[in-house]
Amino acid sequence: MASSPTTSELAADPSRISRRRFVGGMAASVLGASGCSRTTKAVEPINVGILHSQTGTMAISETSLRDMELFAIDEINAAGGVLSRPIKPVVKNPKSRFDDLFPRRARQLLDEEDVVAVFGCWTSASRKAVKPIFEEYDRLLFYPVQYEGNECSPNIVYTGTVPNQQVFPALDWLRSLSGGAKRRFFLVGTDYVFPWTLSHLITNHFKATYPDTEIVGKSYCPFGEKDFERVVTQIGESEADVVINMINGDSNLYFYTELARQGITSDDVPVLATSIGEDELRGLLPELVEGHLAAANYFQSVEREGNHDFIERFRREHGEDRVISDPMEAAYVSVYLWKAAVELAGSTDTEAVRKALGTQIQIDAPGGRVHVDKRNQHLAKRCRVGKIRSDRQFDIVYEAPRILTPDPFPQTSFPGWRCDWTNDGLVEGDPVRIEP
Amino acid sequence: MTSLYALPLNVIIVLTAAIFVGYCWFGCIFLRPFLRIFVKGRGNSNDVVGHVLSCFGVFYGLLLGLIAVASFQNLSKVEDNVAREVASLDALYQDVGTYPAPHGQNLQWLLREYCRFVFKYGWEQYASGEIPEGERTRIEAFHERLLAFNPETETQKIVHAETIRQFNVFLENHRVRENAITTGIPSVMWYVVLVGAVLNIALIWLFDMKFITQLFLGGILSFFLGLMIMLIGVMDRPFQGDVSVSSQPFEILYWTKMRDT
Repeated sequence: MASSPTTSELAADPSRISRRRFVGGMAASVLGASGCSRTTKAVEPINVGILHSQTGTMAISETSLRDMELFAIDEINAAGGVLSRPIKPVVKNPKSRFDDLFPRRARQLLDEEDVVAVFGCWTSASRKAVKPIFEEYDRLLFYPVQYEGNECSPNIVYTGTVPNQQVFPALDWLRSLSGGAKRRFFLVGTDYVFPWTLSHLITNHFKATYPDTEIVGKSYCPFGEKDFERVVTQIGESEADVVINMINGDSNLYFYTELARQGITSDDVPVLATSIGEDELRGLLPELVEGHLAAANYFQSVEREGNHDFIERFRREHGEDRVISDPMEAAYVSVYLWKAAVELAGSTDTEAVRKALGTQIQIDAPGGRVHVDKRNQHLAKRCRVGKIRSDRQFDIVYEAPRILTPDPFPQTSFPGWRCDWTNDGLVEGDPVRIEP
Repeated sequence: MTSLYALPLNVIIVLTAAIFVGYCWFGCIFLRPFLRIFVKGRGNSNDVVGHVLSCFGVFYGLLLGLIAVASFQNLSKVEDNVAREVASLDALYQDVGTYPAPHGQNLQWLLREYCRFVFKYGWEQYASGEIPEGERTRIEAFHERLLAFNPETETQKIVHAETIRQFNVFLENHRVRENAITTGIPSVMWYVVLVGAVLNIALIWLFDMKFITQLFLGGILSFFLGLMIMLIGVMDRPFQGDVSVSSQPFEILYWTKMRDT
């Protein structure tokens, strides 16, 4: 190996690169490179929460709401997001445990995940369990399911319906000649706040509008109930003209199976369901439910161009055999409603979004145009009654002639109570005792 | 470390080259004059440094080579496991399809949603080293509904037993894949690799040769060292970066078989 040249030799050779020249060259390159380089700032996503039971007795209904909300978020993100920021959904599974896991997961979303709004819940039990948490953190919950009313919170946007938009018009139709002029009603439901309150409302509605109507029986069953033999026997013995079904979750399978087993058909005693849609029907055999009724604001069979596109887009993503029900449509509308309000407000701040919602934002939903009633943050919607077909879809047998304004406190049941956030807020009337 | 995997492969290569070659050249320029004091005046100093470097290089090269092979094998193993999970998912999907209505369709929908979640949302989370909660939830939902089915006929009992067995196979494969999300070379090994690289390059500074030759040879050696370490690094996390396991098997299963069933 040759010995290396001395420092003086290196310095004497003009063709050699000296250390000083090399360092100078490198420094110039680095400076040049840094001058040319551009830093790109990542766009911070907007966190939103999704709080639906994906296991347990309510999974059959709530899982589809999760799918629909994620679908809407994907669509919005593909179109550029909200305020030019992508939406990041944070999904939590409260496992159909309304009293303990729903509040815990809600707190997790608001506290640890720092979501700006949450789309969630199905049962009123779960909604009532998380309501104080949303009020404590002052964030918005978008609740996409029809419910019993008797509630009004500035932190909940009710995108489902209340009884005066869903059940009352359906009852009035059943009482009319076209609905079969039914007079003897049997009420059956799950043993919790929604059926109790709805029962109370139905009784008072009939007292006020059709005093000759008879409530021939009432029966409540626990969540997840599978044995309906006694209840169906009672229905048979009561000689009811029609049954109002307020059962939630997968118990419906056992209820309709028992009806069929005891030979009660839709021709003899039609059942009008308040919590059954196309998605729940997939768990039921068509021969068990064909001819029975359901009251809702949206059915997949609604004839609208926007609805056909919506169904096609959802099926392209989730499969040709997927179906869409009323709460699923409401869940989809919830996400777009939140987007519209955030864009109008120019911010995700709760107060700003609430103010934007108060400007009567209108959404061209798949089931028809809807708008927020600024007085109570409920949606104004249309009522429809559908008859179950053999293909697990509905024939729409009745459609309310106009869009119905939501009234969470019907005066026939809650005298003196009203909700108007643009005026006095929640005004309490006489105390009302609701018993099962 | 995770953010490094977010960079494109070509940027990682340039960055690695810049760091390693830069480190070598930095030493050549600023440290070499001082380090040469140790070997100054010895005629055979380059021979001594050469011997040390060769000896060191053998052990270090072996270490690097073995780790690189292990990383590659790990990546292949994870790829095989993804294929196995997809195969077991496919078989399970077929099995539950034979269940009577409406159970069969409900179970198929749950599996379909699981598959869709894996490639649409899950893979993105693996890339940031997270185990997605949504996968576990969807599997739980399927398991719950599978166990809720009460077989009535002898045929149904046999099919149900086989489906539960198939579900366990699928679950096993899924668990193995889930573990692979956070798998990687232990940090102590990374320290040895990096300290080895630092020493290797430092030995180059001790050579007594022309400055430009040293820059050139040292640069080549450092670049190659950097390349080897980068190779190990990019293969180290099977679900992160450009060199990672693809979600394609899940996508193919979903789009060609599940979606339109």
